[in-house]
Amino acid sequence: MSETTMSREDIVLLARHAGLDLPPEYFDELVEAYGMVQRMVARLPTSRPRGDEPAHVFNPMTFMPREG
Amino acid sequence: MAHTSLHFVTVADAAQMIAAKKLSPVELTEAYLDRIDALDSQLNSFVTVTADRARQDAKAAEAAIMASGPRGKLHGIPYCLKDIFDTAGIRTTAHSKLLADNVPTRDAACGEKLTQAGAVLLGKTATWEFAHGGPSWDILFPPARNPWNTDHSPAGSSSGSGAAVAAGLAPATMGSDTGGSIRGPAAANGIAGLKPTYGLVSRRGVIPNCFSHDHAGPLAWTCEDLALLMRVVAGYDPEDPGSANVAPPDFEAALTGDVKGLVIGVPWRWLEEEVPLTPPTRAAFDAALGVYKALGAEVREVSLPPMQYYEDAKKVIAIAELFSIHQEDLRTRPHLFGASLRSRIIAGGLVRAESYVQAMRARTDLARAMQAVMATVDVLMLPTAEPAGKLAPPEPGWLFTKSGLTTAFNVGGNPALSICSGFAENGLPFSLQIVGKLFDDANVLRVGDAYEKATPWRERRPALAARATA
Repeated sequence: MSETTMSREDIVLLARHAGLDLPPEYFDELVEAYGMVQRMVARLPTSRPRGDEPAHVFNPMTFMPREG
Repeated sequence: MAHTSLHFVTVADAAQMIAAKKLSPVELTEAYLDRIDALDSQLNSFVTVTADRARQDAKAAEAAIMASGPRGKLHGIPYCLKDIFDTAGIRTTAHSKLLADNVPTRDAACGEKLTQAGAVLLGKTATWEFAHGGPSWDILFPPARNPWNTDHSPAGSSSGSGAAVAAGLAPATMGSDTGGSIRGPAAANGIAGLKPTYGLVSRRGVIPNCFSHDHAGPLAWTCEDLALLMRVVAGYDPEDPGSANVAPPDFEAALTGDVKGLVIGVPWRWLEEEVPLTPPTRAAFDAALGVYKALGAEVREVSLPPMQYYEDAKKVIAIAELFSIHQEDLRTRPHLFGASLRSRIIAGGLVRAESYVQAMRARTDLARAMQAVMATVDVLMLPTAEPAGKLAPPEPGWLFTKSGLTTAFNVGGNPALSICSGFAENGLPFSLQIVGKLFDDANVLRVGDAYEKATPWRERRPALAARATA
């Protein structure tokens, strides 16, 4: 099943799993937005070398004790 | 109305007059408070005016300056803050019903630095809801309006900040930029706005939009004024995990006016194929490049990855982080969000962790590609945006589907400046965006300053008049 072709029922399950118990009018917002987000996600390159690091890797310098 | 010209004085000029004791901070502050009172009902640029605090700050500044001179160029200078910057004892609402009663106990880092510099807080300015949803009519306050034509948008999300500076309601302000929210309002309102290098200005105490792309930065009438603000607000903050531990440059000393030999890169494919410019905007951009060539600069074409790649990476990262920031309220009281914000973030709860990581891996590639191109030029130039359109509810899904000329530089983290580059037939400003190498913010301001000094655009201000009351 392609994520860009999910049924409304599938999205209900995903939303419930995400803790979103939405009234119908907000759920329509979610369905519309999710479709657009999934199109962006589908365009992201995924086939890449195992060692390709994401931009947000842990930097211990951030956690060094402060001087003084 | 008294003080009819003081409100259009730049920070640099006001600082000079204050230092020479030809202008009192009290007089200057009253000029702005008078003007806010007279005109802001047409603009909705302020959501909270801190008149008592401003008068107190101004009096204290005056006394200190009379006793021992100004402690710096911002001593006694009025400013305002986008209403996502925490202000101790002063409500900070992010323009949201969710934070209608939020009163922080500590100032944001930028506010602390501005206070230490002796600047005078005039108030808090309008923003899109949580700096992301807007323009909105279903949230805590109405949206801000463009002072060049109040039927038009001041852009966002630093909408009130941009409008206030252009209209002469404040000479300086701090905004935030996650995908263009300093540069867009700077462009729409015909002022200067700098998104600094990521991490150069502390975001501690700034209500987050997206941790990975948020930048705090100044807006003012001129690049010189931005340099004065950056002198105060830039610098390492160990309390901000994204803060860069680098010594800020001397921003003022960089404003030499000289751009001879400057190498300017233009991503023409973006401007001709991906987000084609309208003919008037293209003409204004060509004219701006002509100014730089006349000053001795060289222009060459550069090739960057497709803008769509930057947009996709940024937006997938952003929506996941935005959902995480707002998850409790989205789950328990979604009705308190404006529709624009809610629809822009709610799908973030369904984005898989793998997608977030893949977007972050894409960001690594795209940031590296940006810096590889920047290594071949001194700056990039392109317009910031088309002139401001009418103020209207956004098209559904606009944020997900439209590409703009600003987001790529949030992904790369590069300093990016927007300045005024002329005026369209309808009187709305054109804009020029100048992008620099990482941490070369001073050079970016130098390049913008040279253009401002070689062109007449800083002499033109919006014509606003107080409405007669019955």
